[in-house]
Amino acid sequence: MSSPGRRRVVLGCVSVAVLICFYTVASNAGRLVDSELLPEPFARLSRPDLLPPTQAIFKALVSLVTGELPPMEGHHTHPSGHVGHLVEQHVTLQGALLVSVLRVLFGVAVGGPLGIMMGFILGWNRTADDYLHPIYILLRSIPSLALITYVMLWFGHGEAHLLIPIVYAVFTTVVIPAYHGVRDLAEVYVRAARSLGAGGRLLFTRVVLPAASPAVLSALRYSLVIAWMTTVGVEMLMGDDGIGHLLVGGGLWSSRLQIGVDPAVIIVGILGLAAVGYVMDAAARIVSDRVTFWARRRRAW
Amino acid sequence: MVTALCSVRVRRGLVGLLALLALYGLAAHIASGRLPTRVSLAVHEIEGVELLPTYSSLVEEGVFLVQAGILLQGAAVSTGRVLAGLLLGSVVGIALGLAMGWTAGFEYALDPWVVLLRFTPALALLPLYVLWLGLGEAAKIGLIATAVAVVMLQGAYQGVRGIPRVYWDAAAALAAPRSLVLRRIVLPAALPQILASLRIAIALGWVTVIAAELIKPSMPSLGYLLALAGAYPRVPTIVIALAAIALLVLVSDGLTLAAYRWATRWMRRRYA
Amino acid sequence: MHRTQPRKVRLQVDDVAFMYEGGTRTHALDGLSLAVHDNEFLAIVGPVGCGKTTFLRIVAGFLTPARGTVLCDGRPVRAPGAERGYVFQEDAVFPWMTVQDNLEFGLRAKGAAPAERHAVAAELIRLIGLRGYERAYPGELSAGMSKMVEVARVLATDPAILLMDEPFGSLDAQTRGQMQDELYRLWEKRLKTVVLVTHDVEEAICLADRVIVFSRRPGRVKAEVTVGLPRPRPLELRLSPEFSAIKRQIWAGLGLAEMS
Repeated sequence: MSSPGRRRVVLGCVSVAVLICFYTVASNAGRLVDSELLPEPFARLSRPDLLPPTQAIFKALVSLVTGELPPMEGHHTHPSGHVGHLVEQHVTLQGALLVSVLRVLFGVAVGGPLGIMMGFILGWNRTADDYLHPIYILLRSIPSLALITYVMLWFGHGEAHLLIPIVYAVFTTVVIPAYHGVRDLAEVYVRAARSLGAGGRLLFTRVVLPAASPAVLSALRYSLVIAWMTTVGVEMLMGDDGIGHLLVGGGLWSSRLQIGVDPAVIIVGILGLAAVGYVMDAAARIVSDRVTFWARRRRAW
Repeated sequence: MVTALCSVRVRRGLVGLLALLALYGLAAHIASGRLPTRVSLAVHEIEGVELLPTYSSLVEEGVFLVQAGILLQGAAVSTGRVLAGLLLGSVVGIALGLAMGWTAGFEYALDPWVVLLRFTPALALLPLYVLWLGLGEAAKIGLIATAVAVVMLQGAYQGVRGIPRVYWDAAAALAAPRSLVLRRIVLPAALPQILASLRIAIALGWVTVIAAELIKPSMPSLGYLLALAGAYPRVPTIVIALAAIALLVLVSDGLTLAAYRWATRWMRRRYA
Repeated sequence: MHRTQPRKVRLQVDDVAFMYEGGTRTHALDGLSLAVHDNEFLAIVGPVGCGKTTFLRIVAGFLTPARGTVLCDGRPVRAPGAERGYVFQEDAVFPWMTVQDNLEFGLRAKGAAPAERHAVAAELIRLIGLRGYERAYPGELSAGMSKMVEVARVLATDPAILLMDEPFGSLDAQTRGQMQDELYRLWEKRLKTVVLVTHDVEEAICLADRVIVFSRRPGRVKAEVTVGLPRPRPLELRLSPEFSAIKRQIWAGLGLAEMS
């Protein structure tokens, strides 16, 4: 590994390690030192139900992954209603993440192509663009999560009212990059192809699509982040399962606000979420880099 | 300017919008007799629900909401939160992003946390913030600020990294002190990228505030209005709330776009 | 090479006008007429902004004139087509296709059989001296090589007329000289009617039979200079008095020099 590369890894690891140590000390301060001796803000913050000690986080992680409650250990462990509640319903971290991943993938798989098509139509046909562009701008100004209450009235309490906002969010995200790809990026290539006598299908599949593909693929990668955000949002609001549901305390919608939220669970959930999101993004990056290998800058000879 | 307003493109755009509005009105009219008015929510069924409200009921509802002050107050509160979160998040995000772009060591140290935050949907932090900061404004504004900061950080970082090497070298050759380089070179050169990410941040800010207000509603706010209307349910209110939100998003986006165009006017060359 | 008989007219442009949309409705071209003969190499030079690129785009069919007619082989020009090949100033080679695929593209558009496509592409690769690079991607080639691929790609469809818009404009001076030689070689082997737009007066004189000077905006034909120099025209020719005389003529047309 090159020197700056090594420096990057080392500094990164050191930074993470330092923070974990610092956090462990801070979160355990209440236990190690008598709370009267601590300065005011620290005393307040270092309550274990606000700043969960590192061990508690770890325990929560184990519980949520294995699906079993830890054995009671005297009065230092707080039997968390949140964890208990989740375990009771057989909710595991990986199970919840899987459900959410499926929703995200659905959203991208449906919303992506739809948005790309729309972007292509607007970018290709100036007339259609003139008429339809303002409508698109209007529609994309409505945050997709805001739609959920309305959608629920139409589609009831099944899966649709969760998936529609996700599809909508991905759709609105992808249109503009596809539009830009066809209209601006592909311009000179389309002209060149036209002067070579190409038209119709050949023009579209061999010229327009490849020319726009870098912009489109990077938009799809970005839409993963948007899809995750929307998925977590709808699950927190109205979901019966998934990671958002786990974060908010599980249980039926009606009993949601009654369970006390355990920050250890939240931290575990967030770490799991970030890990999955990172992996998906890395995978998307690898795929898109392979497909658009030709878009690298030319070597200066 | 007048000729620009009358241009073909603007005319067609207006036609498109009017067509959409007309279509909706027609659909609402047709539907008013036909769509079911009974809707089953999670636990109970509701009667008398207008799934596709006609323009008359929308107007009626709109007038009521405005006169009762609910709509305007709610809009003011939500907008205030967005602006506060935007300000806080931008300051933090831009500062960190510039620092990370400038100094490699800083970048390497902070990078794992930035990556973690980037892949954490801001909403997931909401329960945590509410726990730490209470049910008041702080949690919501903090959440918006976090989401905004991540985006602005990325924008500022890219802005700094995008500065051509030659400008750094020129500054070094003139022995310019750091503060001068920051003020006169880095900030102006990074500004376009920062403004571009501001647009994204604003959209994100609005999504976050509405979602936060939906999850942990508090009066008065647009999200609360939406949640209430959804729970009741009163569809005309939902539609009006959605329209109000869309309008606010459009206006803030339009302003940012104008700012972006103004800030990048030196970038665009006119070819003969 | 000498030509004595009147040759048939490949391209006839009559009284063409074109206006830019937008705030100021300026005429880019106004009352432009010219004719290009079979196998003639015509160069167009002019001051910046005189509309020479606009003119070429109209001939190619990318733009529609506000007035006037453009006839190519007697047929009116309405849209881009393979009989009017176009070489761009920017990089227009398809970077996602190999050199071979790029060369075969025009024939593919015509619906030619694979065997024919391969044969033509192979011949052209040999012609431009890029044998061995069939499977390379344009990103791996230098700018000059890439531009040659673009020229060869256009030649593959055997167009009636070749339109070139400052094709070497983005290349450095040395590469440009090489490209000019290459272009001449190609033109000699595959005799074609060429219209070359360039800002480089020397390039125009080296390559063309006739040089047309456009006036300032709105563009019209301001001057026409016949380059009677024998071919081939090596580099040293640029130092000769005949060359300088022609250059002076063109400069006069551009308003840069006085005719003595």
